[in-house]
Amino acid sequence: MNYFVKGNPDLCIGCRTCMIGCVVAHEGKRIFEIDPDSYTFNPKLHMVKTAALSVPVQCKHCENPACMAVCPVGAISQKDHCVVIDTDKCMGCKSCMDACPFGAINMVPVAGKFQADGTEKKVANKCDLCTGLPGGPACVRVCPTEALTLVTEEELEEAAEAKRKKAALNAFSENYPQE
Amino acid sequence: MSMGIPEIEDSGCLLCFGYNGADSHPIVARRIVRGKQKGMKIICVDPRVTETARISDIHLQLKGGSNLALVNAIANVIWSEGLTDDAFIREHTKGYDEFIEVIKEYTPEYAEPITHVPAEEIRRAARLYATTKPAMILYGMGVCQFSQAVDVVKGLANLALMTGNFGGPAMGIGPVRGQNNVQGACDMGALPNSYPGYQNVTDPKSREKFEKAWGVSLPDKVGCPITHVPRRILHEKDESKRIHAYYIFGEDPAQSDPDLAEVREALDKCDFVVMQDIYMNKTGLYADVILPATGWGENEGVYTCADRGFQRIRKLVEPEGDLKPDWQIIAEISTAMGYPMEYKNTEEIWNELIDLCPSFQGATYEKMEKYGCVQWPCRDKSMEDKGTPYLHKDGKFATADQKALFYGTQWHPPLEKENEQYPMTLSTVREVGHYSVRTMTGNCRTLRNLEDEPGWVQMNTEDCRRLGLKKGELVKILSKRGYCITRCLPTDRVTPGATYMTYQWWIGACNELTIAELDPVSNTPEYKYCACRVEKIEDQEWAERHVQELYEDIRAQMGIHTGKGAKA
Repeated sequence: MNYFVKGNPDLCIGCRTCMIGCVVAHEGKRIFEIDPDSYTFNPKLHMVKTAALSVPVQCKHCENPACMAVCPVGAISQKDHCVVIDTDKCMGCKSCMDACPFGAINMVPVAGKFQADGTEKKVANKCDLCTGLPGGPACVRVCPTEALTLVTEEELEEAAEAKRKKAALNAFSENYPQE
Repeated sequence: MSMGIPEIEDSGCLLCFGYNGADSHPIVARRIVRGKQKGMKIICVDPRVTETARISDIHLQLKGGSNLALVNAIANVIWSEGLTDDAFIREHTKGYDEFIEVIKEYTPEYAEPITHVPAEEIRRAARLYATTKPAMILYGMGVCQFSQAVDVVKGLANLALMTGNFGGPAMGIGPVRGQNNVQGACDMGALPNSYPGYQNVTDPKSREKFEKAWGVSLPDKVGCPITHVPRRILHEKDESKRIHAYYIFGEDPAQSDPDLAEVREALDKCDFVVMQDIYMNKTGLYADVILPATGWGENEGVYTCADRGFQRIRKLVEPEGDLKPDWQIIAEISTAMGYPMEYKNTEEIWNELIDLCPSFQGATYEKMEKYGCVQWPCRDKSMEDKGTPYLHKDGKFATADQKALFYGTQWHPPLEKENEQYPMTLSTVREVGHYSVRTMTGNCRTLRNLEDEPGWVQMNTEDCRRLGLKKGELVKILSKRGYCITRCLPTDRVTPGATYMTYQWWIGACNELTIAELDPVSNTPEYKYCACRVEKIEDQEWAERHVQELYEDIRAQMGIHTGKGAKA
């Protein structure tokens, strides 16, 4: 089963450290040394703030991803519990962006690569769970209030078990109310 | 702060007043979030839906400028419903009856039209605060940056006194200071009225002590508050009081002070301006001499945290180029001016200082090294005295008879009210990615990637609809004193008629608009309230170009290389 990162709005303070952590994780430490114009600032998660909540939104790594189904060039695949985009294959058609029900995909320029009209090449961009990086997703690691968690199959099962227990207890106390 | 920051999460009830931890101190906000998880009740008083308001049990979304009316009304409910801690009032306080005379008329119904908070909500909040123990108050610039500020601080202290919330852990009242070492600056006597350790310059005994230690005669008059400087340069008739030279370090008044047009005029007219900072800033454009300083990783010393905790800071890297740490610059300037200072290191300075300040005397380098942090008062150098996590233990206060004093005052409205020409209000606020005037964070590339010039004005979505403004559109915002251009951010977290801007942007500089009205005691300006107007800019293409040109122009004036390949 695929994993995903889940944000808890009761803990989130909207600080966007996760977004910076994401960029640094994907660009590497070199972003502090190189020419500021030669890297792209493309966070793969986005802070959403409404009157009632603050929480980052990112890819849910669906089991049957709409983005993967619509991609005409097969640039999106599932591996290692994760849905990933091969940006070299991506032709920039935006179908995935359109298909994603969570708004988790956006189009971003790639530094140093150019397309036919002379502008920077634009490709689909979304969370890749920091695949290949030690320590797991950077957003989870850098969050100052521990508002983000990596949800794995095991955790989902544990949570479901706890909820079932609670449901059973509730049913019991409904049938046998205490004084 | 009367409490320690680690105690916040263990309080039973937090009254968070004009304090937005998530944007100004994420590390303190973390304690608030954790407290909430542990079951702490939260009452948030703020005109905006802040992150704390969002997770609060009661949010009193008051109208800006009505603080004291609300505080007095909360006190009124606690008194009239008999929720007071009478034993504490009797044994540890004075002036209660006089205070009640003042707040008698502040019924919730009286306060409702002033504060725009329903009377029943005020009652609920007062009951929750007064009946939960321990209860804690945190306040921020939403209290201090008004022309009626000190009165509100005293008003909040009244609430803690009448409910007996002093003298134990996780209670009391805490100003969460605006900057990392602003507490340290005050502790060290960087105030016009005190020597280090809050020893008054008008007290002959303190003065004698410092005169003897330093071998000089010292003036017996209170100095000039920073916010009086422009007037003392521009309008002072008495030649002996007029300011001719201004030495500014680690501060950018041409960005951070109210009514920037006046500040610029003052810096322009001032005969001699010295600026000592780590990067070029707006004030630097008016300086006759610029002294390059070291950044936080390049020097060492002691910072004081908002909760009175002294902590050592250490050098990580050797400074490159022609710069010196602040203490060396000060020592050399002093020596050149005829008072030789020959310190070998910061510890030597610290030791001289603590021996002159009884309440800091025990906070040695050794102790800070061992315990990580030492909170004053710490009077004894023995390792057993680990400092004071919370103040006023056993209800003993720092007054002659150890009793706290109630202090009641009438509310008065802010100076500049909305009018036909300027129908909206402006309050300056903070944002989490940029610290203070952005001298440091504006030079941090990822933070600049997240937010850059010309910043945003937060406005209610209804106001935006009425003015035909979309998110990200450039708008002109004006007051009686000036204007700037910034981007529109429609949000339901603010109420109609109110606007909010952060004060660090060079282009979207909201201090062009703010008013230099001061609190009579603290001399802090009324940054949180002035009248303004927002205008739509029809030609957005021109506006975008104009902002870009302004930015390039400022950077060129500051000598910042903007070409490709530049190290930013």
